[in-house]
Amino acid sequence: MLAFLTVGSTRFDSLVSFAFGDEFLSSLRTKGFTSLVIQCGNSAFELADNPQNGEKRYLKRGGVDIEYWKFHPALDEEYRKADLIISHAGSGTILEVLRMGKPLIVVPNPTLLDNHQQELASALQTMGYLATTTVEELPAVVEHFPFQMNTFPPFDPSRFARVVDEAMGFI
Amino acid sequence: MFFIIALLVVLALFRVYMILPTQGGRPKRLRRKSDVCSVAVFLGSGGHTTEALTLLSALDPKRYTHRTYIVSEGDSLSERKALQLEAQFGSTKQNYDVLIIPRARQVHQALISTPLGALQSLLACLRYITLRPLFNAKMPFADILILNGPGTSFVLCLAVYVSKFLGLHAPVIIYVETFARVNSLSLSGKLIRPLADRFILQWSTANGKDKLSPKHWLV
Repeated sequence: MLAFLTVGSTRFDSLVSFAFGDEFLSSLRTKGFTSLVIQCGNSAFELADNPQNGEKRYLKRGGVDIEYWKFHPALDEEYRKADLIISHAGSGTILEVLRMGKPLIVVPNPTLLDNHQQELASALQTMGYLATTTVEELPAVVEHFPFQMNTFPPFDPSRFARVVDEAMGFI
Repeated sequence: MFFIIALLVVLALFRVYMILPTQGGRPKRLRRKSDVCSVAVFLGSGGHTTEALTLLSALDPKRYTHRTYIVSEGDSLSERKALQLEAQFGSTKQNYDVLIIPRARQVHQALISTPLGALQSLLACLRYITLRPLFNAKMPFADILILNGPGTSFVLCLAVYVSKFLGLHAPVIIYVETFARVNSLSLSGKLIRPLADRFILQWSTANGKDKLSPKHWLV
């Protein structure tokens, strides 16, 4: 099985560093994950030769094949391939992953000043759509995989279309 | 002299009062099914861009045309995503354009230089929203302006209000608070609330009431 870890366009040093660590990798291994893809963005982490933009690096650690790189324009392919997605709590990523019906663990970045990621993550956890945790607690949550999640409501384009049609006098 | 200035201020305030929207007010005019409306949308990068383009994808591209994407300088990712949506619509270059405006405030910009950046941003917005349509009838600004934050949204609103103040054609402002705001309004939301013709929350909890529910989600 494949896990995909993404931090979006931001940097999230503590999460990316932790993802290369034994504790996290062994939690994945216990659950039968043999591959991990890490989108590390601009995060700074222990491996001195961080990949350049557009370059993919490979590594084997703790029985897990790791592929890591900075950015990719279309992450949807990565989401589709993965059996579990672990992400920063960006709203765009959350919507995209949950609409694909994929299991999602989010880790809100505590170093962001205006931390509304936490707000959204907690609300969606309460509603049973995803799991939210901290960097340190991540292995414990991975060990609960696969989790029971509620079905995320599909995008309903008619709602916004109605708002605009009404505002513009199309009746 | 004092009396004249005071009178002008009172008249200006009265004018502003007159052009402020009434929330949930009726549309100014009714349109026929076959009419078209032009629409502009601000892509505020990251999650804001994803949400704004999701909203736009909900609209009938034949009715809501021509489309204008407003993008901050240097935000090539948002521009690329906009072009992807247009490709999905099966559009040609005549159906849309992209306006690039300076950021109201850079992410790591020192606070002291913020007013200068905001002023540059406002001038660019005025150019496209107020001045260009005034001097070039072939380049009107859109009938609808869709906003969902961040900062530059407010600057766009100010430019729209300059047009309104002068009695020029001005877009209907539709503000959709970002999906990320569950418990409170964003700063843009607070600033734009009195100015928007439609102000929409996706979480009823953002008003401090109700329990969590997906019933108002637009994205």
